[in-house]
Amino acid sequence: MHAKKKDSQFKIILCNNIIDGVSNTPIKNNAVLIDGSKISDIGPRHEIKQPMGADAEVYDFSNSTVMPGMVDAHTHHNGFGDGRLGDELVKLPDEILVLNSARNARKSLFSGVTTIRENGPKNKTMLELRKNIVRGDQIGPRMMLCGRPISIIGGHMGYFGSQVTGEIQSRAMVRQLIKEGADYIKITATGGSTITSDPLRPAFNLDELKAITEEAHKFNKLTAAHCTSTEGIRLSVEADVDMIIHSVFKEPNGDNRFDNKTAELMASKGVYVNPTLHVFRSQIWAKQKSMADKPENKEDILALDIEKKEFERRVDDVNKLIEFGAKVITGSDSSWGDYQLGNTVYEVECLELAGLSRSKSIKSVTSESAVSIGVDQFVGTLEKGKEADILVLEKDPYDDIDNLWRVQDVFLRGTIIKRGSSDSINLMRQFPPRN
Amino acid sequence: MTKKKEFKLIKSSRVFDSKGDVSLENGALLIEDDEVVQVGYQKDIKVPEGAIATEYNYEDATVLPGLVDCHVHLIGIPDGRAGDETAVESDEVLTLQAAKNARVHLYSGVTTIRDCGAKNKTTFMLKEAVKMGITPAPRMIICGRPLAIIGGHLSYFGIQATGADECIANVRQLMKEGADFIKITATGGSTRTSYPFLPSFNVDELTAIIDETHKFGKHTVAHCASSQGMINVLDSGIDTIVHGYYKEPDGSYLYRPEISERLVKQNVYVNPTLHQGTETYDALTSKAQVQTLTDLEKDKINTFKSNREVSIENISRMREDGVNLVCGSDSAWNHYKMGEFQKEILTHVEVGMSAAEAIRSATIESARSCKVDNIVGTLEPGKQADLLVVKGNPVKNISDIFNVVDVFQAGSLVDRDNFI
Repeated sequence: MHAKKKDSQFKIILCNNIIDGVSNTPIKNNAVLIDGSKISDIGPRHEIKQPMGADAEVYDFSNSTVMPGMVDAHTHHNGFGDGRLGDELVKLPDEILVLNSARNARKSLFSGVTTIRENGPKNKTMLELRKNIVRGDQIGPRMMLCGRPISIIGGHMGYFGSQVTGEIQSRAMVRQLIKEGADYIKITATGGSTITSDPLRPAFNLDELKAITEEAHKFNKLTAAHCTSTEGIRLSVEADVDMIIHSVFKEPNGDNRFDNKTAELMASKGVYVNPTLHVFRSQIWAKQKSMADKPENKEDILALDIEKKEFERRVDDVNKLIEFGAKVITGSDSSWGDYQLGNTVYEVECLELAGLSRSKSIKSVTSESAVSIGVDQFVGTLEKGKEADILVLEKDPYDDIDNLWRVQDVFLRGTIIKRGSSDSINLMRQFPPRN
Repeated sequence: MTKKKEFKLIKSSRVFDSKGDVSLENGALLIEDDEVVQVGYQKDIKVPEGAIATEYNYEDATVLPGLVDCHVHLIGIPDGRAGDETAVESDEVLTLQAAKNARVHLYSGVTTIRDCGAKNKTTFMLKEAVKMGITPAPRMIICGRPLAIIGGHLSYFGIQATGADECIANVRQLMKEGADFIKITATGGSTRTSYPFLPSFNVDELTAIIDETHKFGKHTVAHCASSQGMINVLDSGIDTIVHGYYKEPDGSYLYRPEISERLVKQNVYVNPTLHQGTETYDALTSKAQVQTLTDLEKDKINTFKSNREVSIENISRMREDGVNLVCGSDSAWNHYKMGEFQKEILTHVEVGMSAAEAIRSATIESARSCKVDNIVGTLEPGKQADLLVVKGNPVKNISDIFNVVDVFQAGSLVDRDNFI
């Protein structure tokens, strides 16, 4: 038996290509000094040294690209990403959901995501998992948790355990979740995939939304609202919600109609938008894959065509939001629908498709997403004093966004994560259908 | 459309099938899907015509049956805490711990485990999650919760029964939930409200539990930390005894050959759990260097050596008297981490077994005690292809059993570097 090698306090990372999350281009010939879990210095190589007399472990990543660990602002760790509905997922016992969440947490981390914001688990599953991670019994990314999403009776994700009615119950639920350890409050402001809900109509009334955001803000907690209808977006923005999720501009009859006035308001109020484009695209991919396995069918082709058009429409709408100056960030929404954790990069790709520049898209999954979920004082950039959550890539994503997949190493709190065999890592990636 | 069969040809300098005392030199196995179909000399193994077998060639190595640890506690947190403290953790946390322990054990070469007691439904849940492909684990033979008296050993895991009827009802409940066997705590143990040197259930209760379990075609395992407990479960028809300490009500050791005689006559397996104390001793000794120990901890250190000597002596005598000893680690209890079952196998050599005998006690014999010897425990045609490949020759040098090279589970090579 050989003794476990103790991590040295100081580490020096030599790099030739740093994306620090602040600058708009990579910086050459730099180094990072890690002291314990934190970045204690960053700058030109010749200036970076550990304190006199101390030892430092040196990592030479001169041929790689070094960037902040990714921040995924929207995850569902309970999920399988195998197409099953939340209504089905929730039937599983908490013990099984917590095991699946632990597995998903490792997938996120191994793929380079070092911070996540969880958008909807059942009961206390994620709070319990985080407790176990903090104690050092499991590994996983940093977690910003909502406890459970707040929903109306029968509303989207009401099955996860927090259904309320009226201002008073809404405020009580915010307090309850905060007591349990919630870091922010998630609201389902419209229906969604939940069978008993209507995605095209608002769920909460304005007074309830206002009560929730007011109470959350009082405790200095952010809020985020699931919105798949224009009216839901409008009410949420009016109620001072901090992040609009999905941001689907649809009328109650299903018509797509982008709402300039609301978009303008979102931009001027500085509301964050989490478009979740790939979760829609992954549904198309899954359909294409299942169609490839069976004889051609007119209805399937027609349905697929509709979904593809819907996706294009969504991309266009996000493009308009960007044009209006809304702050768009990466939140994958995995593992929900057919989208599995460990594949956050697909959402970044989609945001580029919708018009984010390369530098903005990289920031959307690092510095900007960190600001959007309120953790930018700790993570999201590589700066002195920040946590040493560092992603080492074989190649530069500025050359090709696809290079975000080429993870070489992941540092969490200043320590390299043992990610395991490449066979096991490669199995995490979901590939698009052929053709 | 039938699925194409997958063949694997495993060649090794030695194959120990766990049926006798010697290894087959230049041996090989042919695996078809999840089953062993041929075992023999390399030259004699015939891959079916037209089939292509993936070949694995292990030089200076020995292929053994995957190990069978007949006594684990998957939810255990091996930092020395008492079970009383483990039981206060939430079911979610304990299930996470169980998954972690199960994975470590599998990666260390244990392909079958018998879990001797967990809280609520945690092990049932883990088994379900394994079936769903969420997490890897050895084959699991589980009891769910142990049957205890009020305040008895492990009663904090969820079952406290009084009287034959409640005992029978609990057996039925566990059967309904999917238990593979029934664990009984027939004496007290480390549980604070229990008395390790005294029996817990009365014979009528024990008989009710055991008869009801046998009615379902399942077996029973009893925790016995003192002699009277052994006598009671022998009177009631028990299948396996764990610990099997020859202790009198005042806590003194007294070897009682007449009990050993009954163990042999009634064909009862005994799982001595010898290594665990050493882990505690080592942990407390290092703790003593940095902080003051409690009186209880000091007492454990002071009595460890003499207690262990007596235990080794008693277990050696049991073996000489013909008692069938089976290997089970009792990890992760107290300080004994999972993934180190081999340490328990070494203690079996200490009580007089040959290396081959010790390996058999940790494969085929423990499989018999777990009632799974029809599918695992030896390498022979028709059995599951659960294999452990180690560098060297553990039949000659038992500590080679630590040198794990590869593990196969139901015919598949386990990726021991998969942490997802």
